[in-house]
Amino acid sequence: MGKSRVAVIWSLAAAVGMLTAGCGQGLLGGSDTAEDKGPITLGMLIPQSGSEAAIGPYMKNAAQLAVDEINGKGGVLGRKLELKVADDACDAQTAVSGANKLVTEGVKISVGGYCSGATLPTLPVFGKANIPMIIPAANSQELVDQHLKHVFLINGTGTQQAAAAMAWITKQGARSVALVHDNTSYSKDIAVRTQALLDQPGGPDTAIVEAVTPKESDYSANINNILAKKPDFVYWTGYFQEGGLITRQLRQAGYKGGIMVGDGSVSEKLAQIAGAEAGEGVYATMTQTPDTLQGAQTWIADYTKKFGSAPGPYSNQAYDAVRLAAEAVKQAGSTDGAKVTTALEGISGFQMFSGPLKFTPDHTLSTGGFQILVLKSGKFALQDALK
Amino acid sequence: MSQLIWNGLFVGSFYALVALGYSMVYGIMKLLNFAHGDIYMLGAFTGFAILGAVGGVSPGMALPALLGVLVVTMGVTGLSGVVLERVAYRPLRNAPRLSLLITAVGASFALEYGMRAAAGADPQVYPLRLGGTSVEVLGARVTLQQIALIIVAVALMAGLNLLVTRTREGRAMRAIALDPRTSALMGINVNAVISRTFFLGSALAGAAGVMAGAYYGKIDFLMGFLIGLKAFTSAVIGGIGNIPGTMLGGLLLGLLESFGTYWLGGEWRDVFAFGVLILFLSVRPTGLLGERVTERV
Repeated sequence: MGKSRVAVIWSLAAAVGMLTAGCGQGLLGGSDTAEDKGPITLGMLIPQSGSEAAIGPYMKNAAQLAVDEINGKGGVLGRKLELKVADDACDAQTAVSGANKLVTEGVKISVGGYCSGATLPTLPVFGKANIPMIIPAANSQELVDQHLKHVFLINGTGTQQAAAAMAWITKQGARSVALVHDNTSYSKDIAVRTQALLDQPGGPDTAIVEAVTPKESDYSANINNILAKKPDFVYWTGYFQEGGLITRQLRQAGYKGGIMVGDGSVSEKLAQIAGAEAGEGVYATMTQTPDTLQGAQTWIADYTKKFGSAPGPYSNQAYDAVRLAAEAVKQAGSTDGAKVTTALEGISGFQMFSGPLKFTPDHTLSTGGFQILVLKSGKFALQDALK
Repeated sequence: MSQLIWNGLFVGSFYALVALGYSMVYGIMKLLNFAHGDIYMLGAFTGFAILGAVGGVSPGMALPALLGVLVVTMGVTGLSGVVLERVAYRPLRNAPRLSLLITAVGASFALEYGMRAAAGADPQVYPLRLGGTSVEVLGARVTLQQIALIIVAVALMAGLNLLVTRTREGRAMRAIALDPRTSALMGINVNAVISRTFFLGSALAGAAGVMAGAYYGKIDFLMGFLIGLKAFTSAVIGGIGNIPGTMLGGLLLGLLESFGTYWLGGEWRDVFAFGVLILFLSVRPTGLLGERVTERV
C-alpha cells in the first residue's frame, strides 16, 4: 500500500518535471549558438540509490576518468567536456524525472543506463530533445526492438547473452537445464531466448522455466519446483541479491549440478550472500570486466590512483561510452543530435575494450563479447573466453 | 507433499511472528500499524550491528550467541515500538482513523529511509549464518537450524498467548480491546498498557528479523515492506485482533504460497494465494477465528 502512494507522488513529480523540461526547451532553444563556446555536457543516468546502488560509483568514476583524460588532451572541437550525473534508482519513475532534469540542464549526449527497466522509459525523453544515447550497460532486447535512431547499445544484448549461455551449457555436457528469472523485462528476456535455443532439436533440453518474486528471502517453494524436474544445470538470469539466496538455498536442498548466473548477478555480494561454500564454482555469463581485460593494467592503475579503489563491473563500458561520445562529436564537427547520430552510425574500427567498434543496423555491437566467469574464493575470475 | 507442507509451515511461522504485532495493536486500538514491517527490518539490522560489535563467534557457539543477540534485539525493537507509539500515534489517538493510518505510512517511510541513511542502500550480509546440512524427515528435507528456529517461534508465540490469557496484564489488554473508556474508569492505566502492547508486538517482530537475518543471510532497508504486507494479510485471514487466529493465519498463508507455487508455478503464486484470500474473506469476512463484530452504541 505504501508503495502505490509513492508511485502516485513520483508520477506527479515526473509530470511536473516534464512540464518544466518543456519550458526549458522553449527558453533555451534559441541560445544554441551562445553555448557553442562553453563545455559540451554529457548526461549520465545511473543507480546511486536503491537495490543496484553498488554499481553507480564504478560507472560514474570511469566516465569521469574518460572526461578528464579527453580534457587533458584539449577536449573536443576546442571545447571541454563536462559530466552531469543523475540518479535513476533502478526505477522507472525516478529515471524519467532524472532524464528530464538532464535535458533541462542542456546535455548533448546521454552516456548512462544500467537497469533496462529504468532505461526503457527514458528513451522517448531523450529522443524528443534530440539527444543521442550511448547506453553502456542496459541490454534488454526491448531497447533494441523499438529501432529508435538515437539509441546505441555498447553492451552485449539479451540474444547474444543467451547464445553465450547456450554455448557454455553445451560445453559442460548438461542434459536438462532449469531457467530461473524474476519476471523483469531484462531477466525474462534472457531466459526466454535461452529457452528458444534449448528447445531446438538435439543438445540439452529445458527442464523448467521458473519465475520468482524479487525481494523475498525464502525461495524454497520455487526450489522445490526446480528440483522436482531433476535438472543438472540451473541458469539464473536476474540480479545478485536473489541470485545469492537462490544459489545458497539450492545447495542447502542438496542440489549438486552446475549453477550459472547472468550479467546482472556478477557482484561480489552474490558470493557473500550465498556463503563461501555454496558460492564456490558458480558460473556467470558476463561481458568484459576490468578483471578480465587484456592489456588494461595501465588503465586500471590510473583509475585506482585517481579514485582510491579498483574499477568494477561496467567501469570499462562507461569509460568507452564517454570516449565514443567524444569521437562522434569530433567526426560530426558539431553537437547537433542528428549529426552525432549519423557520425555514430558511420564509425568503423574505433578501438574500445570490447574490440574495434562497428554498429549493426540495429545499433548494437556485432559481437556481444560475452565470456564465462567462475566464482573462486569469493571473486569472479575468467573461466572461458568462448572464442 | 510433506516437503511442501514443511516449506509452508517454516515461512508461515515468520509471517505469524510478525503478524502478531499487527493483530495485537489492531485489537487494542483499531490501528493498522503499517510501520510494523519496518520494526522487523530494524530488528534484523540491530542484530547485525550487535554481531558486528561482538566480533568473531566460533561456529560451535553460533546458536547460543544468536539466542543472546535475539534477546537483546527484542529489547531494543520493543523499546523502539514504545517510542514509535509515543511519538507518532499517541498524539493522534483521538484524531480521525484516516490521520492515524497516514501517520503509520509516514512512520514506515521514516524508518525505511532513516535506515538507508544510517546503514546505506547496499544489502548487508550477516556475519553469522545458520546453514547446516539437511536431514530427511517423512520425505521432507529439514535442517536442524530450521527446527531450532521453529521451536523459538513457537515458544515466543506460546509465551505471548499465556501472557494475554493468564496474567493480570493480559486481562487489562483484553479489557481495553473491549472498551477503552470503561477500562480507564475501572482504574486501568490505558496508556501504560498500550505502551506494553507495542513493546511485545515489536519485540516479536524484532525476533523474527534476527531469525530471518541469521537464516537467509541477506538484509536490506526495504526488507520489511513485503513481509509487513504478508503479515497484515495473515492477520486478516486469521481474524485480526485474535491471537491464536493470527498464528493460524500466518501458517495458512505460508501453506497457500507453497502449494500455489507447486500447482501453478512461481509467477502465479501470489495470484493464487491472494485469490484464495479474497474468496475466503467474502465468505467469512471476520477471518478464521475472528469474532463477529457488533457495533457498540
